[in-house]
Amino acid sequence: MKEKRYPWFGFPKILPYVKKYRGTMFLMILCGAFVSLMDAVYPLFNRYALDHFIGEKTTDTMGKFILLYLCVLAAQVATNFTSTYFSGRMEMYVDRDLRDAAFSRLQELSFSYFNQHNVGYIHARLMSDTSKIGEMMSWQLMELVWNGSYLIFMLLMMLSINRTLFVYLLALVPIDFFFIWLFQRKLVRVNRSIREINSRITGNFNEGITGARSIKTLVVEDRMEQDFRRDSEDMRRASVHAGHLSAMFISLMTLMGSTALALILWKGGQITMAGVIKIGTLSVFMSYALSMIDPIQYIVSSLAKLIGIQVNIERFTALMEEQPNVADSAEVIEKYGDTFHPRRENWEDLYGDVEFDHVDFMYPDGDEYVLKDFCLKVPQGTNVAIVGETGAGKSTLVNLVCRFFEPTRGCVLIDGRDVRERSQLWLHSHIGYVLQTPHLFSGTVRENLRYGRPDASDEEIWRALRLVSADDVVKKMDHGLDSEVGEGGGMLSTGEKQLLSFARALLADPRILILDEATSSIDLVTEHRIQSAIGTVIRGRTSFVVAHRLSTIVRADVILAVRDGKIVEQGTHHELMQKHGYYYVLYTRQYADMAADLALEH
Amino acid sequence: MMRNVNAVDFPTNGSMIFYFLRGSKRWFFAAILSAWVVSLLDLVNPRIIGFTVDSVIDETGTNVPWWLAAFVKRVGGLTAIRSHLWMIALLVAGIALARALFRYFFEYFNTKGAEKLVKTMRDDLFGHILRLPYKWHSENAAGDIIQRCTSDVDTVKVFVSEQMTGLFRTMILMVLSLIFMFRIHTYLALASAFFIPVIIGYSLIFHNRIAASFEKADVEEGRLSSIAQENLTGVRVIRAFGREAYEKKRFEDQNRTYTSYWVRLMRTMSFFWSSGDLVSYLQTLVILVYGSSLAIRGAITAGDLIAFISYNELLTFPVRALGRTISEMSKAGISIDRLRYIMNAHEENDLPGAVTPPMDRDIFFDHVSFRYENANAKALSDVTFRIHAGNVFGILGGTGSGKSTLVHLLDRLYEPSEGRILIGDTDIKAIQRLYLREHIGMVLQEPYLFSRTLGDNIAMTKDEVVPEEIADAARIASLDETVQHMRSGYDTYVGERGVTLSGGQKQRTAIAQMLIKKPEIMIFDDSLSAVDAETDAKIREALQEKMAGRTVILISHRISTLMQADSILVLDHGKVAAQGTHEELLVTSPIYKKIFDLQMQGAEEMKQADSIQILNHGEGSAQSRPEKLMNHLEESKGGNMA
Repeated sequence: MKEKRYPWFGFPKILPYVKKYRGTMFLMILCGAFVSLMDAVYPLFNRYALDHFIGEKTTDTMGKFILLYLCVLAAQVATNFTSTYFSGRMEMYVDRDLRDAAFSRLQELSFSYFNQHNVGYIHARLMSDTSKIGEMMSWQLMELVWNGSYLIFMLLMMLSINRTLFVYLLALVPIDFFFIWLFQRKLVRVNRSIREINSRITGNFNEGITGARSIKTLVVEDRMEQDFRRDSEDMRRASVHAGHLSAMFISLMTLMGSTALALILWKGGQITMAGVIKIGTLSVFMSYALSMIDPIQYIVSSLAKLIGIQVNIERFTALMEEQPNVADSAEVIEKYGDTFHPRRENWEDLYGDVEFDHVDFMYPDGDEYVLKDFCLKVPQGTNVAIVGETGAGKSTLVNLVCRFFEPTRGCVLIDGRDVRERSQLWLHSHIGYVLQTPHLFSGTVRENLRYGRPDASDEEIWRALRLVSADDVVKKMDHGLDSEVGEGGGMLSTGEKQLLSFARALLADPRILILDEATSSIDLVTEHRIQSAIGTVIRGRTSFVVAHRLSTIVRADVILAVRDGKIVEQGTHHELMQKHGYYYVLYTRQYADMAADLALEH
Repeated sequence: MMRNVNAVDFPTNGSMIFYFLRGSKRWFFAAILSAWVVSLLDLVNPRIIGFTVDSVIDETGTNVPWWLAAFVKRVGGLTAIRSHLWMIALLVAGIALARALFRYFFEYFNTKGAEKLVKTMRDDLFGHILRLPYKWHSENAAGDIIQRCTSDVDTVKVFVSEQMTGLFRTMILMVLSLIFMFRIHTYLALASAFFIPVIIGYSLIFHNRIAASFEKADVEEGRLSSIAQENLTGVRVIRAFGREAYEKKRFEDQNRTYTSYWVRLMRTMSFFWSSGDLVSYLQTLVILVYGSSLAIRGAITAGDLIAFISYNELLTFPVRALGRTISEMSKAGISIDRLRYIMNAHEENDLPGAVTPPMDRDIFFDHVSFRYENANAKALSDVTFRIHAGNVFGILGGTGSGKSTLVHLLDRLYEPSEGRILIGDTDIKAIQRLYLREHIGMVLQEPYLFSRTLGDNIAMTKDEVVPEEIADAARIASLDETVQHMRSGYDTYVGERGVTLSGGQKQRTAIAQMLIKKPEIMIFDDSLSAVDAETDAKIREALQEKMAGRTVILISHRISTLMQADSILVLDHGKVAAQGTHEELLVTSPIYKKIFDLQMQGAEEMKQADSIQILNHGEGSAQSRPEKLMNHLEESKGGNMA
């Protein structure tokens, strides 16, 4: 995927989502800086204890000392809590808002977007990009605030205490930055290659487990294992290399800390002996020398992450700026309302006449017309069957009727009016859709069945279930309509899911019904029920069936045979059989398989 | 390849971890030793600093450790050091260098060990899974097993290489620094030591609480993620029902719930962090105040106090991490358990003294019955038949008639519940399993291709292959022309599971894959279903020519595919319905004849019949063609089949 580059690493694009929380942000930065200030102040207590109590052998100010320490501690703990908690909140809220925005955008996007990007890709944009951006706007920002201000406060303290020693330590800062930056870059590169090998290993496991039957029948266990061992060895090597680098890095860092310490001990020791500074001051410098390296490391790694985050921002922004290529016009929205705010009071009924009027069509990502000057009148109540091999492009007509896509030229008329004259939501509210792989949502049976008509009563639900003879499916479940169907309807068999999705479509009582028949073979009893359920749901409605079953096909009023994306034949079963063309071949081949099945099943 | 995993059974988590640790133990051992050196060196520097402050700068030092005294003596006494303070700096830097070196050793050895451990775990798991019975594979969800092999392995790795070695490191650091602290001043050390159990206990409680609420937040995240997933996969249904607004609300509600759980978790964590600071700084205060008063009384020197404070600081973070380690142990325990479930499943094995008899013999199914686990009905019941060596044997059966089960049993993917299968005179149970499978080639209806090139897929079963062999096999499978049209030819990458190929191409690749091995017994399990009739005939012709003399088992719906077989078995609901040659069956088996008529002449006959039917198909009462067919069969069955 190409990503557009935006100025300032894309941060201005995120600003609107952060603005809302500027109060929180201000507070968390303020508290964070205060925490750092306190952290930088603590060594001064040691200094006082060494120089005043021990140096002058007195405990006169001990009470005040403890009190002050406790005050600083209380302030530090309170601000620490506030800044971490607030940045946590900030992270979660920004995350949440970004996700809401992305999700809402996705509900408006056209089908071509979903055809061009797979679910995994979109899911990652919605879930992981947003959470990375959220993390950056809070934690990485806080890391910068904490460590940046800690480093600055330490340097300021040093400057105010002793200029000579300050200069020595200050000289080390850029050197430290340089080394850390160098290693960080290398580590990023190595880690990238580790991620690649890792996905290879996951792929291996996937293959070894899902391909078990083939592996066994081919007796390629040893071959698979050898290949796996090669990948796992690559992984081991790369990881050890990364481990070596990060070990060098860590050692180098502690070494730099100790070098600073040695330097202070030497130069500081000299001026202490000369009486310029006291022991306490020396100890303060020693602790600063040791503490300096950590914030530098964190600053570098936060900066690297901030730069790395621009990819996520770009992807997120690309999603937000994606324009639906099927959109309702302003006048239509004015009258019918938009996706989230329909104006149902202005909606008229849909009768069910469909007409394709000189339609040309090309998919947005295609380079060939799949429909050219296509005309077809489908009067209310007509049953259209679309047949063809898998992947031949049978769903094109369905996509046009549903206005998931719009014709390149010509128009699709519903009840004599161009579909574009009314809103998508209006059209969709009158269309029922039964998918090949029936899609149920996790939730109860009732929630699923009501999907097309949220106000359906239990009585109506049961009536619909009886009509498609799916009532016993629900009855045998533990909690009847309140039974959970599991994610994707996982608790039900495919046949049962199909029956339920018929009931769902029936309940919505659509004027136009789209049906994508299942190809998978199911047991004969369920098969029979599905056949009769199909008969029930299409009765009296205009229907488009992407058909695989002979009985469905034969019964249709119009059959369209599709090959390589184009409609090659059109007519009734009888006409097409006489023609002895493509449909004839399709039909006889399927008939042979079915005949054997039926003969033997009996 | 030598394998001995098979014999191993792991009664406990510990025993399995120990087994996985073979080859990495020494690295971890070296890492822990290095960590101890680092800890020791960590403790040296504060003493030097303390000494420098006391003896050199302040001239009050008394309590000088022997090694430091020896160093001072060697460089020419206190006065020499005082005038050349860089020597101390050099000593500190030198120790720092040594420390950095051992720190590197620790990290490096630890990584070596960790990566070796992970590799051993992965290799063992993968090899083991490959050799688990097919039955095990069909009983366990792939996603779950993959999850175990990836994220649970990582959890174990992190636990061993970070938490366990961290534990050893912290222990030794704690012991050593307590010794050093006690040598400086007993009561002051006691005051510091008092905080250790407090910090550990407190951190343990918190981590358990965090873990609990983390789990809850995780569950909510899972819910949110699956709502998104469902929304994206169900986008057609949502649009078609016009339910965008509902979906939006559903997502936003869950998004709110999820966010509130996380915010709560953040609050707990922030509280933990800041109160952790509170305890640590309180400890510092106690030491500072008590130490100062001791120093004023002369019980310790200023340098001692500085050293003591350094020791105390060294301990702070490791001790705070200890609580976490302990609470993570339970998490790792769960992961190890999940891996043990896989490792303790038994691999396929051969009976003692399994043989390798010649395979070009008759195959005899002797009263074989089979029932799948959890199934009510038998998939095969009392099936007896003989396949003569060198014959082409056809099996005709409908969906779910048990024809695939039959060949699964022959290949020993499953074992018969009753009866036996003989090749020659040998029960296949007594034959070495891999030997058996190597000599039986099987092409499945939905073949599984591996994510490699087309050529690699074909050559998969052979170690050394010349390109001509691949081309030959491809030619018999009618794949060669297709390949010529591909830009990279046999180097075309077929994608995961062969997604870039069509169904027919996949089937033909799988056929070539089998042919290259020239097995004595070849099984085509409905494996020509996705190729057109013409190619189907072409492949069969080529097979007859090139593979003559081998036993071929053809399984199909289509009589046209089977009619030339030497013998055809008609399988019906797991029972043998009829057997004979095509000509014989046409006479003896009415059902075979029926299918034949329907398939061969069906289309022709239909053209006439439909002209009548089509006239009244508009009415609801009209029967579709298949329905008629069914009724027709029912009538004929009554008389002939019973």
